[in-house]
Amino acid sequence: MFKDATKLFYQPVIAFFGAVSVVITIYVLWLTLHNISLLRPGQEQFIGLNNYVRLLLDTRGLNALWRTVLFTVIATVIELIIGLSIALLLDREFHGKKIARAIMLVPIVMTPIVVGLTWRFMFDPSSGMANYLLSLLHLGPVDWLGNPQVALFSVMIADIWQWTPFVVLLTMASLESLPGDPQNAARVDGAREWQVLWHVTLPALHRALLVVALIRAIDSVKTFDIFYIMTRGGPALSTETLNLYGYISAFTNFDISYALTIAMVLTIFTNVALLLLYNLAFKAQARGAV
Amino acid sequence: MRKLAFYIAIVVLLVAVLFPLYWVVVTSVKTTKDAFAIPPVWFFEPTWENYQRVLNNGVFIRAFLNSVLISFTASFISVAIGALAAYGLVAQDEPVRRSNEKFVLSLRIAPPLIFIIPTYFLAAQLKLLNNHWVIIAVYAFINVPFAISLLITFFEDIPRELRDAAKVDGARELTIFWNVFLPVAKGGIVATLILCVLFTWNEFFVALVLTGRDTQTLPVSITSFLTFQGVQWGPLTAAATLVMLPMLVLGMLVQGQVVRGMSLGSIKG
Repeated sequence: MFKDATKLFYQPVIAFFGAVSVVITIYVLWLTLHNISLLRPGQEQFIGLNNYVRLLLDTRGLNALWRTVLFTVIATVIELIIGLSIALLLDREFHGKKIARAIMLVPIVMTPIVVGLTWRFMFDPSSGMANYLLSLLHLGPVDWLGNPQVALFSVMIADIWQWTPFVVLLTMASLESLPGDPQNAARVDGAREWQVLWHVTLPALHRALLVVALIRAIDSVKTFDIFYIMTRGGPALSTETLNLYGYISAFTNFDISYALTIAMVLTIFTNVALLLLYNLAFKAQARGAV
Repeated sequence: MRKLAFYIAIVVLLVAVLFPLYWVVVTSVKTTKDAFAIPPVWFFEPTWENYQRVLNNGVFIRAFLNSVLISFTASFISVAIGALAAYGLVAQDEPVRRSNEKFVLSLRIAPPLIFIIPTYFLAAQLKLLNNHWVIIAVYAFINVPFAISLLITFFEDIPRELRDAAKVDGARELTIFWNVFLPVAKGGIVATLILCVLFTWNEFFVALVLTGRDTQTLPVSITSFLTFQGVQWGPLTAAATLVMLPMLVLGMLVQGQVVRGMSLGSIKG
């Protein structure tokens, strides 16, 4: 009797969300099996898996997919490496630690559109700060957002600037929750600092770092704002990721079915990452080892 | 000596984090001539010209009001629904709770593109693309799963004895929820609300697709400063400062919770 009353608090909400996700998934799947385009109203046909085949053969789509993978992997790895180094650096008592932590939070809570604008401003070819700093080192001006070879990495810099602090703060929290004894024991046994780090601290952080990496990877796959504001996929499509291509297919080309096919592929990607995350996070908790 | 090196490293780090932000804010109070001077001008007469231009711009003011209205209303709805659901879930046995938590978490992973396209066409057919309630409903829908997973972590901290004691006194579930859980978890609930406001305020993609002339939020409106004649950096940096400043303040208020909230709520790294 008493269990039933508490069930009423969450079951309607869960049931609603469950129903909506089932309906949307089936509806989207159904739409991807047609060729609905707002430019050809009233001519929809059932075309089976043609949209998926089309994506497999679409050079622009495959390039966007490859760019998404490239962006996700490189950005995540760099954020993790820099973030971990900074976290290890800050993991000690010093004056101003609280302030340092608060400042780390600033990029995280900043509006992504403003982050994109900020870096577009820094990367301005004629009056931008980035080229001015390079000129002080007698290095030539770089066309950060105008050169197809460079633009993707320029956007990446903005992403790294915004999200490395997130890795730092999460890693610091994990570091603080580690018991200090194994490290101290190793030090007493005469291990050098780098040995303690490599053999004791990093293995203990292993799972926490994987969870952070997966969170960042899932978010990177979905990155939209900074691309939209910094390059809109240009120049010459050199920064068009799958998410952006999906947006353009839907709201510029009005190719609805195809856009949803792209969205399905993106969803599959994020769900694979999610499954990994469940296994890491929830199994760890079940065993009591967090 | 090592200590000195350490502090130098810290200073370099903080400069790297803060400089881009500083440069935007400083540019917003420069004259156009100073803003584009090379080498950059470090000391100058501040001017409020850019802010005057932005604040006299009806579109921007309207977007500001829209952002306030939409983010607060959607967040209130999400936290209200989220709190009820989280209360119910915390009372369940471990396996039931875990599987529901997993489901809630999975709702937050899907790329917005997949549900925004169907929503757009539904709203377009019903002629609701320029309606505040549509965008509020969509944001509430997005934030409820987040609110549930974060609120669970706060409700878990409430000792079971409090609940059991109220039960013994014959209190009904709704009374326990209202008189015991809400007051005890007040801090957590406020933090969740603030985080929902923060996400909604900062959100761009959904707003870009689903808002029209009357419902545009700040992140969408700010893109109108990027005209074909080139970028008007002066007013743009002023507008950017006005957009992010409230969120920096809110972010500082809920410092400890921001990272907890962003790391998917229910996963304790």
